[in-house]
Amino acid sequence: MTAAPVLELRDVRKSFGPIEILHGIDFALHPGEVHALIGENGAGKSTIMKILGGFLEPTSGQVLLDGRPAPYASGAEAEAAGVVVIHQEFNLAPDLTVTENIWLGRELGRVFLDHKAMRAGTQALLDQLDTHISPEARIADLPVSDRQMVEIAKALSRKARVLIMDEPSAVLTQREVEILFRQIDRLREQGVALLYTSHRLEEVTRLADRITVLRDGAVVRRALRGELTEDGMATAMVGRDLQDIYPERRHSMGEVALEVRGFHVPPLVHDVSFTLRRGEVLGISGLVGSGRTELAEGLVGLRPATGDVRRNGVAVHIRSVRDAAHHGMAYLTEDRKERGLLLDKTLRENLTLSTLPRFGTPFISDAREETALTEAIGEFDIRAPRRDMKVGNLSGGNQQKLLLAKTLLPDPEIVIIDEPTRGIDVGTKSQIYAFINELASEGRSVIVISSDMPEILGLSDRVLVMRQGRLAGELEGERISETNVVRLVMGTSEGANGEAAHG
Amino acid sequence: MADQAVSRPASSFRLPSLSALGPLLALILLVALGAFLNDNFLSQGNITNVLARSAFIGMIAVGMTFVITSGGLDLSVGSMAAFIAGVMILAMNALLPSMGVGVPLILAGMGVALAVGLAAGLANGLLVTRAGIEPFIVTLGTMGIFRSLVTWLADGGTISLDFAVRQLYRPVYYSGLFGIAWPILVFALVAIAGQVAMRHTRFGRYCEAIGSNDKVARYSAVSVEGVRLATYVLLGLLVGLATIMYVPRLGSASGSTGMLWELEAIAAVIIGGTALKGGYGRVWGTVVGVLILSLIDNILNLADLVSPYLNGAIQGVIIVLAVVLQRGKKSSA
Amino acid sequence: MERRTFLATTAAAVAAAGLATPALAQGKKAVIGVSIPSATHGFMGGLNWHAQETIKRLKATYPNLDFVLATAGAVGKQVNDIEDMMATRNIDALVVLPFESEPLTSPVKAVKDAGKWVTVVDRGLSQEGIEDLYVAGDNTAFGRVAGEYFKANLKSGAKIVVLRGIPTTLDNERVDAFRKAIDGSGIEILDMQHGNWNRDKAFSVMQDYLSKHKKIDAVWAADDDMAIGVLEAISQSGRQKEMWVVGGAGMKEIVKRIMDKDPQLPVDVTYPPALISTALEITALRFVSDTPVYGRFIIGSTLITPANAAQFYFPNSPF
Repeated sequence: MTAAPVLELRDVRKSFGPIEILHGIDFALHPGEVHALIGENGAGKSTIMKILGGFLEPTSGQVLLDGRPAPYASGAEAEAAGVVVIHQEFNLAPDLTVTENIWLGRELGRVFLDHKAMRAGTQALLDQLDTHISPEARIADLPVSDRQMVEIAKALSRKARVLIMDEPSAVLTQREVEILFRQIDRLREQGVALLYTSHRLEEVTRLADRITVLRDGAVVRRALRGELTEDGMATAMVGRDLQDIYPERRHSMGEVALEVRGFHVPPLVHDVSFTLRRGEVLGISGLVGSGRTELAEGLVGLRPATGDVRRNGVAVHIRSVRDAAHHGMAYLTEDRKERGLLLDKTLRENLTLSTLPRFGTPFISDAREETALTEAIGEFDIRAPRRDMKVGNLSGGNQQKLLLAKTLLPDPEIVIIDEPTRGIDVGTKSQIYAFINELASEGRSVIVISSDMPEILGLSDRVLVMRQGRLAGELEGERISETNVVRLVMGTSEGANGEAAHG
Repeated sequence: MADQAVSRPASSFRLPSLSALGPLLALILLVALGAFLNDNFLSQGNITNVLARSAFIGMIAVGMTFVITSGGLDLSVGSMAAFIAGVMILAMNALLPSMGVGVPLILAGMGVALAVGLAAGLANGLLVTRAGIEPFIVTLGTMGIFRSLVTWLADGGTISLDFAVRQLYRPVYYSGLFGIAWPILVFALVAIAGQVAMRHTRFGRYCEAIGSNDKVARYSAVSVEGVRLATYVLLGLLVGLATIMYVPRLGSASGSTGMLWELEAIAAVIIGGTALKGGYGRVWGTVVGVLILSLIDNILNLADLVSPYLNGAIQGVIIVLAVVLQRGKKSSA
Repeated sequence: MERRTFLATTAAAVAAAGLATPALAQGKKAVIGVSIPSATHGFMGGLNWHAQETIKRLKATYPNLDFVLATAGAVGKQVNDIEDMMATRNIDALVVLPFESEPLTSPVKAVKDAGKWVTVVDRGLSQEGIEDLYVAGDNTAFGRVAGEYFKANLKSGAKIVVLRGIPTTLDNERVDAFRKAIDGSGIEILDMQHGNWNRDKAFSVMQDYLSKHKKIDAVWAADDDMAIGVLEAISQSGRQKEMWVVGGAGMKEIVKRIMDKDPQLPVDVTYPPALISTALEITALRFVSDTPVYGRFIIGSTLITPANAAQFYFPNSPF
């Protein structure tokens, strides 16, 4: 029934030093099929993709292209052979334009570059993706989701026979994800073999013709479409039954901890007003680019902003992160690798960076820092092979837990968490949800900003929806539902304005 | 599962890795070579000479370590030293009639040197942090400015300290305490304080954090601009301190004073294992780097190894080797 | 005025045949371009000072002369300066002290080919016959005069050390002449390292000589800036009585000490930075009179002794 595999791994093992991290993997990609590879962070998905894409060589075993040993030894050679990888860490030159990136390495024109043709080609690709990104835009100026779209456009332009996608939807909005899915469907019809990874299991159900579940470097489950429920996938990944990953909410809300009136963060956010109570989890939803992050960064003094902010009823002016900390507010960034953690420093240095004055003046007490780290490792279940390792070598989930520990170290009363679980496996997700829940039940106020709809629905006592820099509405209690949120997000809710007025 | 999490604190003392010991190894090899080539190499006189000579570049290089660690650079220090020396001598000569020859006059001169150093460092720092200009460009500019200013002040010639004042001031370079020359003592204190500041204070930790990723530092409530400014001011002050020790040596300053000191200081910092792109600083390494640079000179003078025309080549080879020793391992890891 | 007398005694003028025509029509100002290296060390500092002083004086004396002075820190900059003078200042004459001979030869030749007057100072061009006037110090004599003094004042078997300048032809000429002059005297040169005509460098080189050699009878420092560093290193070691030092050029501090009969500094050898003044004065004559001024002026090196030191002492010069 299925055609012979295009690209195949046979009994592939991979060791880094003495540690074997892939134990005899068999894995095949067939033309005209979407094959989903799922597993917790650190299960070995990235390594498999790197081996398929020519970036890593297996320690033993075979990589077969069309049944013969794969004739490539590098990513570039693999691309030439029709095997294209869309990386999670974008492979785009930030200072070049969209067009320049898409044609990088195979520019058109003999002596002089044919700018016109390249531009037209780029525009056609972008139109196909139904995005309004300008071909002349510099990558560095684009938001993360647009960069992902450019990365996808670039892969499409490569005329791939095999397309390997490493969590392409992680940074995309619902609408963009839909476009992505249409493209994937189109490619499948054209007979391209696709590998898809995602932590969003509903996407896997929607797309995958074939599912391979990975745990600790070995395949634990193979299934065809329809054979595995999302619950079944999660159980296979984690290796134990998962209770509902969202904790039961039993928050008792107290007095107003933060009151924001007429808040502007130029140039994007306008006239936002809301209140936040003690013991409350407030979700903020909206498209990427709707001003959610800018609002949060404005509140904690990372961006210039105007408006009335009252803490416990007292007007405050916050101009820097230090001011925010002084008023018991902390912000956990969505960009943990570029803004949250120093990847080339150790756990200890990262943990204490924003609270160093507490660890001794004028001399920092190593002993106190070590104690704090020991506590954080225990409390947040940070799994690091060595305490003195660089944070960049931790898995995404453990980085996120460390970042959470760092953000909570000053003992803030208001915690703003931007994308709490981006690129994180199911097991760690549920741990992080439990931490968030616990913060609220301790009487702290939590703002959760997220593009992950179930997350917003599962955690929030109340939901704010932002659209184009303004508050589009507010939902509470029974009214918090996927349909209501999506309507507000897309601006299709007839009562959208009314909601805001009622709220 | 829980056993995966390491719960016992790492021992507070760890042996530096082999690569960190690279420059130290190079230094030991150089000392052995020197002792082998010339009997006088290890004499107290020669060791004092070498250490005292290293002191100026050394103090500057300690300051440079902080600037580079936080992601900056300062090319102006050599010219700045010449400029400070010039202003300091002119100020002392000018104050001489009113104050007379005496310790207060010397102290006033020292005060002027530190004040000018502070102002010069502040100028560099403000241009980098407030005006947001690349440190390379800012300090390339001020390098030319300081150098021209001292040439202008000297009328193209040499600014000389009054003879009588010089006699009083001379011991600051030539004598010492317990048989150790003052410049060596001051350098040692600066180095120790620098090492402690880098490893055990917030300032050092912030410098590393900013050099590693200034956005993360800003998101972590670190005053990025304040810390950067402080590194340039600190460096300016240390250049002032170095000048205070330098002026009594020859009692003069000219357009050629401090020529290429900036490159020697930067080279010493890098040889010592500080990352040129910032994010990691090692003050003791810088001290080793400074000693390596002056020992090469010393050994080439003491032993007739090669034609003097090739001295520069030998220096170049040793500098590159010291860095290779330290980084060789990294590419394979 | 003093400078003139000194020039009169030392300059050997070889006037070439030929009629000098006053180059100027009445009323038009003649522009003389002056391109010299910038004041990076003592000697050049002195030379710059003398150039500026002379220009000031000549302007005052001859209102129909104008000067364009450019100092360059590197060869390339000097070439640019000369091209700019030709292109934008419309010079009638060029007085140039080439940074290096080879690279400056063709730019200066271009000036000559454009029909301008060319005076070359101190460092010759690599091609003969370009310049109308050549004014230079005598590097061979500089080394020879010093060498002769060493030969006459040291016994056979005496040990000396030498500090060389920046490695250049000029430095080689001096050192070769010095070696030739002490040839056969039995004086042993223990060591010869480059001090780069720099005080600090000379100080450390001398410190190392002193560590290395137990007995040194004399030092040829070959430059007064280096002599200052050398003297300081000697006094640090407390070996002032053991050796004497000969520098070179005629720096005012050194000349003063010779006048005062300092036993450490018995003599000095001139290589006067004022030679630029001679070059400027003679070039100016070309435009204000009918005096024939073509040829070569070689300013010899003389020995400054306590007896004649007073004539070489210019307390106002920065050098």
